[in-house]
Amino acid sequence: MNGKPLTIALSKGTLLKPTAELLDAAGLPSQGLISDSRAMIFDYPGETPIRYIMCRPTDVPAYVEHGAADLGIVGKDVIVEQGKDVFEMADLVYGYCRFVVAVPAQNKDIALKDLNYKRVATKFPRVAESFFRRHGLQVEVIELHGNIELAPLMGLSDVIVDLVSTGRTLKENNLVELVTIMDSTTRLIGNQVSFRTKYDIIQPLLVKIKAYLKEQ
Amino acid sequence: MRNREIPKGLRDLLPDEMKSRRKLEKRAADLFTSYGYEEVLTPTFEFLEVVEAGGNIREKLFLFMDREGGILSLRPEMTVSIARLAATHLQAEKLPRRLFYSANIFRHVQPHLAQYREFWQTGIELLGANGPRADAEVISLAVKVMAEFGLDNFMVSLNNIGIFNSLLDISQINAEDKDRIRSLATKKDLVELTRTLDSLPMDDLLKETISLLPTLHGGLEVLNRLPCVEKDRASAAAVEELVTIYDALKDMGAEQHVLVDMGILRGLDYYTGVVFEGFSPDLGYGLLGGGRYDRLLSQFGFPCPATGFALGMDRLTLVLKSQEEEAARYLIGGENWTAMVEAADQLRSQGKIVELDVEGLQRDQLQAKITGRPEYTLIYLEGQSEEDK
Repeated sequence: MNGKPLTIALSKGTLLKPTAELLDAAGLPSQGLISDSRAMIFDYPGETPIRYIMCRPTDVPAYVEHGAADLGIVGKDVIVEQGKDVFEMADLVYGYCRFVVAVPAQNKDIALKDLNYKRVATKFPRVAESFFRRHGLQVEVIELHGNIELAPLMGLSDVIVDLVSTGRTLKENNLVELVTIMDSTTRLIGNQVSFRTKYDIIQPLLVKIKAYLKEQ
Repeated sequence: MRNREIPKGLRDLLPDEMKSRRKLEKRAADLFTSYGYEEVLTPTFEFLEVVEAGGNIREKLFLFMDREGGILSLRPEMTVSIARLAATHLQAEKLPRRLFYSANIFRHVQPHLAQYREFWQTGIELLGANGPRADAEVISLAVKVMAEFGLDNFMVSLNNIGIFNSLLDISQINAEDKDRIRSLATKKDLVELTRTLDSLPMDDLLKETISLLPTLHGGLEVLNRLPCVEKDRASAAAVEELVTIYDALKDMGAEQHVLVDMGILRGLDYYTGVVFEGFSPDLGYGLLGGGRYDRLLSQFGFPCPATGFALGMDRLTLVLKSQEEEAARYLIGGENWTAMVEAADQLRSQGKIVELDVEGLQRDQLQAKITGRPEYTLIYLEGQSEEDK
């Protein structure tokens, strides 16, 4: 395949360990991926050369959409928030989390419709906005970049939309989950053109990954 | 300096880019002309009613109003406008009619590399011809034009959306679920597609076939991997049609650049039969797209089958950029203006590019100007004119 490696964008952080296991099971190289945490590019020459690039999870869809990477491994949460044009190929099951609407514990009995014209703090403005709009509600979205739980405590917002896995952080900050917006797990995504130009490599890989997932 | 800014998603085209752009357009126009296609141009903006005959893409339109109260849209593509043009002007003409165009297109998209809010398309439409030969002509022209541009590693992927549509029809699910499945398959969200199919009351084999479609890609043999299709007459006919077109393309020598890809569905609602997209491994976005749209013209009161495609000229220029070569240029200086003009005209008549020194500079000053620009040759004419003596 014109000598160019198959490039896969991987998410740094908690997803990396299960991702390395998956790559291994799919017959792809994974030596050194976890221990050498400072390197950004990993090249594995061979008959089918493979290159991994280490990205912040939020950057993975951009690399894949533009074709700078052929494939990417990233959470569904990132994909929906960014709305990039990528081929979503497989649900890798690990990395579970969910988008929730949460409110201060003293308001735990509030109905969804009572959130009309309230202020919503979130790191995920698109997800939040489209969820409330779908339910016929108008809200003011306040975009923050971290520690969303702080916003209602300080009176910056009435509600938050955030990503939770166990729900412990919510509890610690005296917040309760009102509704689940959607569940998220890790996905294998691909560039629309790469899937076609590197079909002979990508399709067998997809079959192997799906077989591995079925065994789990 | 706010007065130097341009709106988001637009750009200036500088000489280098215009040069390669025009060259591509000319090559395409020459090729299309030799097949009997004739150039047309429609207005840059149309009434919203016209644009929406092609489907609802309102969030991608640039809309404004005229003072008579009409809602106007900058054209988001050419095919719909040409369908309107044909219904307005060509109903009495002999068919088939072959048309081509080069035009700027406007879409309100999130701009990035290879996706602008104003971009350029060159394309053809073959109006009034049904059947696989017409499709084969159009697809082979897509292959020929890419080869003419000097691309060698490109591929054109074909599908017949009749296969997907008839599979949905035999599934007996409601219209809303059909739309959902179609949109998930178009978006290539395999995960949600499989999940949605699982939740619907549908034959298992059919579910499997539909969820397999987006990843089927290759030669004609991929068509054998559709277990459901044999049993259904409509989809079997669609497969048959695709095979006939593929064979016709083989006869036209286009085989090495053509593949079957059941994942090609195209985003637009008006396609009715064969659809195709062209791409190169050098760019992460498609280079051309098209297909058959037999019902679009009847939206304008002119029932007439049609097929065509459009090339993304901006993307092609990105892929072809490196192949540009600077043409030779002459710079003529001197004191005798009449002699200079004469010499320049003579060279121009031989097809050369000639610039005159309009600043009245000396030889060494002109020499300094062309230093580092190897495409220039300096001609300095000694001697003054008769009157100046």
